[in-house]
Amino acid sequence: MKDMSRRSFGRLVKACAVAGLAVASLGATMEPATAFERVDGGKVLVIAGRQPVSTLDPSVKYNASIRTLQQALYDALVKYDGNPPQVKPWLAESWEQSEDGKTWIFKLVEGAKFHSGNPVNAEAIKYSFTRTLELNKGPSWMLSDFLKPEGIVVVDDHTVQFNLEKPYAAFLSFLPWWYIMDPAVVGAHVEGDDYGQKWLTENEAGSGPYKLKRFDQGTLYEVERVKDYWKGDGGSNIEGIVYKLIRETSAQRAALMRGEADIVLDLSPDEFDQVAKAKGIKTSTEPALTAFGLKFNTKGKYMSDKNLRKAVAHAFDYDALVAIFNGKAVLQTSPFTDDIKGKIDVPGIPRHDVEKAKEYLAKSQWPEGGIELEYVYVQGLEVERLMGLVLIDNLKPLNITLKMVPLTWPNLVARGSKPETAADLMAIFATPVSVDPDAVAYQYHPDSWGKYYGTHFYDNPKVTELIEKARYTTDWEERAPMYAEIQKLIVEDQPEIFGMMRKRLVAYRDYVTGFSYTPVRMTSEVDYYGLGIGK
Amino acid sequence: MLQMIGKRSILMLGMLLGLLVITFSISHIAPGDPAALAAGPDATQEMIDQVREEYGFDKPLVEQFVIYVGGIFEGDLGRSVYTTRPVAQDLMVYFPATLELVIYSILFAIILGVPMGVISAVKQNGWVDNLVRFVSSSGVGLPMFWLGLMLQLYFGLQLGWFPLGGRLDLMTDPPTTITGMYTIDALLTLKFNVFFEALHHMVLPAIALSFPALASIVRVNRAEMIETLSLDYMTNARAQGISKFRMIAAYALKNAMLPTLAIIGLRFGWMLGGTVLIESVFDWPGVGLYALQAVTASDFEPVMAVTLILGAWFMLTNFLIDIIYGILDPRVRGRA
Repeated sequence: MKDMSRRSFGRLVKACAVAGLAVASLGATMEPATAFERVDGGKVLVIAGRQPVSTLDPSVKYNASIRTLQQALYDALVKYDGNPPQVKPWLAESWEQSEDGKTWIFKLVEGAKFHSGNPVNAEAIKYSFTRTLELNKGPSWMLSDFLKPEGIVVVDDHTVQFNLEKPYAAFLSFLPWWYIMDPAVVGAHVEGDDYGQKWLTENEAGSGPYKLKRFDQGTLYEVERVKDYWKGDGGSNIEGIVYKLIRETSAQRAALMRGEADIVLDLSPDEFDQVAKAKGIKTSTEPALTAFGLKFNTKGKYMSDKNLRKAVAHAFDYDALVAIFNGKAVLQTSPFTDDIKGKIDVPGIPRHDVEKAKEYLAKSQWPEGGIELEYVYVQGLEVERLMGLVLIDNLKPLNITLKMVPLTWPNLVARGSKPETAADLMAIFATPVSVDPDAVAYQYHPDSWGKYYGTHFYDNPKVTELIEKARYTTDWEERAPMYAEIQKLIVEDQPEIFGMMRKRLVAYRDYVTGFSYTPVRMTSEVDYYGLGIGK
Repeated sequence: MLQMIGKRSILMLGMLLGLLVITFSISHIAPGDPAALAAGPDATQEMIDQVREEYGFDKPLVEQFVIYVGGIFEGDLGRSVYTTRPVAQDLMVYFPATLELVIYSILFAIILGVPMGVISAVKQNGWVDNLVRFVSSSGVGLPMFWLGLMLQLYFGLQLGWFPLGGRLDLMTDPPTTITGMYTIDALLTLKFNVFFEALHHMVLPAIALSFPALASIVRVNRAEMIETLSLDYMTNARAQGISKFRMIAAYALKNAMLPTLAIIGLRFGWMLGGTVLIESVFDWPGVGLYALQAVTASDFEPVMAVTLILGAWFMLTNFLIDIIYGILDPRVRGRA
């Protein structure tokens, strides 16, 4: 600590002298790249991300940065792991499901304890699920239609039973995002009827592999590794991890090159290719569940015409889409992204074919074209802007012009909330929260209309019926064909241009060990468990 | 003088209220729905309604405005949907960081700009004058954002002389909060190493932020100096054998400083707005970043609070400049 300040002072002095600010140089030597930080001989890993963590409360909110911290501080009954992502035992060592799919019984591991020292028991599970359901924020929507607080039963200290209102096939696939809180610690910090929300915003009550050390809002969030973590260290050898906010991607690149950050999460494809060539830096491209598509407004003036939708989908240059991502993307072969359970390659999914596009256009209400479509995308997202430019070119042979409208995210979401205001085409990235096909299929259910992934206002009663039937069916052998049918029907109706799955671009210093990834995690979300430094 | 201050104060209050009405209207006409954004992308309608009620967005607009203005008089600037904390509490953290940056920037611009203006006026077409021409045209022409990135890449990454961003090194604990400005707090608590470290982090963002101000200070000062130096009383002073230094520093500069002062005041006001760009380049956790984050989340109340503060700041600096003007130039006092 003291050493670092002296170094920094030296640098300042030297800089001042050169800048002509009349301070004599003390002859401090230039330090090489700092690499990872050291505190009292221990190693601390630095991860750079651009999104602040607005709250840590597991019942209140989740997004990529929030969940990164939540996953480090808290445990859930089960955890996503591997590629393809699988639900693995975590706080629960085993579970069983009743014949009718309505009752789930979880056996908890022995020896798991919170950072406070309190044991993680069935009572804590019941408390945590109840808290999230009653606050009705954050992850609550995942289960609120199926689980009521009364349905959670403590069987004994290490057994908890969930009685669902109706069978729900995707139940287990959501549980990794329901983190378990220490009832005693939360209870001690309740203010009025806030259920401890105020305190849990910047504090934690978890049992995870890390505990919170510093919450410096807008600057950094530091966690310290729990040395006697109940599940073992997972191969980790570090003291802790700092999540540092670096908002400009170019600054993230600079921090990685200089060794001020060990892992950076938000590089653009070009920056990624640059750092990949540098010494001491490793890169990896990871598959992801995130889909990028152009949603048609199927209730709009133009795009309600299926033939026009098909014409545009065939005019679209899919290879250009992959090129925009410097090849780090895979085209979708179904509305469901790869790794979603039950995904099939739908035959006849449109590819670039101008002749076919013209055939479809001839069958539409505008056989000669001569119309202008509106393309709305997120302001500042370069890839979406490039996509629009490509599309302008693609639509020329159909005599269709494209008006590009950049909007901030809130305004884009607001426009997409009603069929009257939604644009003809909207550029949307969507990551399903679970690998269960229901999570993606439901995006094509009328309940999703007006949400950012539902700006297609897609309406096919047959699909809706199948989605509902499949989610209440527990036998996978019965469900799988239903989802195959759903995928085929959606492709046939073409409510959007099925785009691509962009790979996650992660760059890190070569001494980082234990980096693991599972596609269900969001862009820029990292699992801290098992991360280490190999020198 | 007192009468002038009184009149101007009342005028300022009126303008602030006007500003409040405008920002409130604009932010509520904007289509974004903060409740939906806060509830999350997958939230059910019930969850969104619950958030709307929690923050009072379900009330009629006029009622919301009355509650908001009433709150301001009690020091309550509303609550951020994004950070879930009271806006006033957030600003206590973010505002000092910005203020500190702006103060160092304007000081840098004055200390460098005024002498440069003087020298380039006295030695026209000398190397200082050429440098000044370069600095002032690039200061006006270069986007501040780009300049910040270039400074960061060259002096931070390439040469490694300065940190890439932030207010302190990663593992350094900030000094005990007294003013919230790290350099001052560090001095007050006698933590000199933290003081130097904070200063070290300040250099690049402060230079980038000061550049446009530096450019205009130099230009105005140079022009005024040239004009003053050509006046008859300067010829008279030279005839009387007064030393050149005294002539320039005491006689010419004092008169040339008046318009320069006006520019300094104006720039000081503008700088606070300019921090939005610089703060995101250097990850300076100030009001600029706070406002940016609020805008992208349709988070009304922080946006209104920041606008209000920027507006008040701008008016206040102009107000102060008018008073200083009055002190320096007796002719101004009468014309409030």
